[in-house]
Amino acid sequence: MPPTNPSNSRSSLNLQSFAARQSSLTRRRFLQASAAAVSGVVVSNCARNLTDPKLSGKASESDSKTLQIYGWVNYTDESLLKDFETKTGIKVTVDTYDSNEAMFAKMQAGGGNAYSIIYPTDYMVTQMTDLKMLVALDPSRLKGIEGLKDKWKNPIYDRRNGHSVPVAWGTTGLTYDPEKFGGTIKGWADLWDGKDSLTRRVTLINDVREVMGATLLALGHSLNTENPKHIKEAYDKLVKFKPAIAAFLTNGWEEQLASGDVLVSMAYSTDALTLMREQPNLRYVIPETGSSLWTDTVAIPKTAPNVDAAYEWINYMLSAETAAKVVERLKFATPNQIAFDKLPKSIKSNQNLFPSSAVIDQCEGIAPVAPKISDTFDRYWTQLTSA
Amino acid sequence: MATSTQPPVPLAKPSGLRRRVSKLIEPLILLAPPGLWLLLLLVAPTLLILELSLIPGFRLGQSAGGYGLGNYLQIFQAVYLPVIWRSLLFAFGATFSSLILGFPVAYWIAVMAPARWRNLLLVAFVLPLWTSSLLRAYAWIAILRPSGVLNFLLGAIGLPSQDLLNRPPAVFIGMAYSFLPYMVLILYASLEKLDKRLLEAAADLGATPQQTFWKVTVPQTMPGIAAACLLVFISSLGDFVVPELLGGAASMTVSRLIYNQFLGATLNWGFGSSLSMILILGVSVAIALLIKYGDRDGATLT
Repeated sequence: MPPTNPSNSRSSLNLQSFAARQSSLTRRRFLQASAAAVSGVVVSNCARNLTDPKLSGKASESDSKTLQIYGWVNYTDESLLKDFETKTGIKVTVDTYDSNEAMFAKMQAGGGNAYSIIYPTDYMVTQMTDLKMLVALDPSRLKGIEGLKDKWKNPIYDRRNGHSVPVAWGTTGLTYDPEKFGGTIKGWADLWDGKDSLTRRVTLINDVREVMGATLLALGHSLNTENPKHIKEAYDKLVKFKPAIAAFLTNGWEEQLASGDVLVSMAYSTDALTLMREQPNLRYVIPETGSSLWTDTVAIPKTAPNVDAAYEWINYMLSAETAAKVVERLKFATPNQIAFDKLPKSIKSNQNLFPSSAVIDQCEGIAPVAPKISDTFDRYWTQLTSA
Repeated sequence: MATSTQPPVPLAKPSGLRRRVSKLIEPLILLAPPGLWLLLLLVAPTLLILELSLIPGFRLGQSAGGYGLGNYLQIFQAVYLPVIWRSLLFAFGATFSSLILGFPVAYWIAVMAPARWRNLLLVAFVLPLWTSSLLRAYAWIAILRPSGVLNFLLGAIGLPSQDLLNRPPAVFIGMAYSFLPYMVLILYASLEKLDKRLLEAAADLGATPQQTFWKVTVPQTMPGIAAACLLVFISSLGDFVVPELLGGAASMTVSRLIYNQFLGATLNWGFGSSLSMILILGVSVAIALLIKYGDRDGATLT
């Protein structure tokens, strides 16, 4: 999701003050003042990535009774935090991010030293482990890790869960209303074949690896291919499909889909299922050629001020009762087998939330690729979104 | 103060020296807080970006190579030129539309509206700025989408429906809306000082209203127009929320490209920094030209 643009609020302040003062200034002064204000806005806007006001000062103040979490927006709610506080006496505050890279950049730049728990996605766990940014977890302090499904006991992104514990997983698929679309969708081929009648009626996720990855899978290649020919092939396919693409939106497609202005939206399963609770006529489908399967985890950064509380939180998330309750409330899939068994039948049989293993076997996790390949992806993406 | 205690002080003019010292110290005290602010939050980060931009392929979390101009050369690859062109187009479009929309409003508030209403009218105009720009962009999606509010209204009065969303016109509309209050505020400040005697004199001497407008009003307010246009232009050059949400599948702008380099999958901070430096440079040149020429024109014509 694109973050709000900070330049607006800032420039409005500058503007009002100098507009008020303006009558007392000569023209030259006025121009100079406005120039200074304007360049201030622009430069401070660009530079804010490096100078985050939330610096490490807070870290030292935190005592053993507080826990600061940095995570995705839909994984915690009020009652989850309250329950944790009554159980352990530890007060939790949560800050959220909207992309792994934003979190990574902040942690790397030292702006996240106050956090004891973060929620990196699978590939980001690999990346951060390689850079030695995560605490190696002590297995003797983890209670309930044996309750995980087999698929998550020794995941590819983090062997034997040495640095992270999976808490949620999901897929990326297509959301649509069969009545408005005039048929059912099984996979990307249905969209490619019908692209002439779909002019500007499809939205795709605003993420290069997801969009290129889905296309690569549909063409029979790996999502994580490092073969430039395969990547080019996927790009060519997308260029041909371009007239049908209304926009690249990770959020903001919901209303357009509901009104029928857009007929198909590519979306993360969590977002699609949330919308489907309000709009039961919608359907979510994992393309038959497979999709990306992602796992969000909890991990302890090396800079964590309160490691003990972090372990408490991990064990709390691992407890089957907590996990089951959270799944019912917040609608994401748990990798915890015991929690899964506790769920009511209606949720267990929800194929969108818990697809069959045949479907899951088609899916693949996004893994980090070499910088050169990453640049290739990015260049094609720039071309695709500006042609 | 340290200088005054030093022994080899010529005793001839102590008061002159004190004056000279206080002449040095006073501006120092007055300028220190904003100077420090500028140094820490503006100059230092900009220099940091400048340094990063000179390390080709600098990536977060990886060891960096030596200095070079590779990042700057990369900007001129064929892939990135359309992105720069689109950013300029969006910014020009937004500036032009908000000038066309904003000038009559500012003129009306400053010259024609009753004086006691003026502040209220201005506040009413600035009011939309108090909501998040993201929310306003979402609102425009609801208005502009094919089955949205706009087409409902057009249909109700028998006009053909418009397909604006996810195309460049939607970006112009969204940006013009976002930056109109800035335009109106600055133009108002400029029009408020308009010497009305000159307007009366022009009418007395037989000028038509159009002639009066173009030969008296516009030249007098030229510095205001230039400053307002510059502010809107630069703000819209840096905006990526509106193009992203309203512009559709072909809406990559320089600011989004910079965002992608810093926070996207490539984490290519070196290239992102060089793009930022080019943006800062372009803006600075525009400001410098405006100060040099915009000012003189305003001074000679009035």
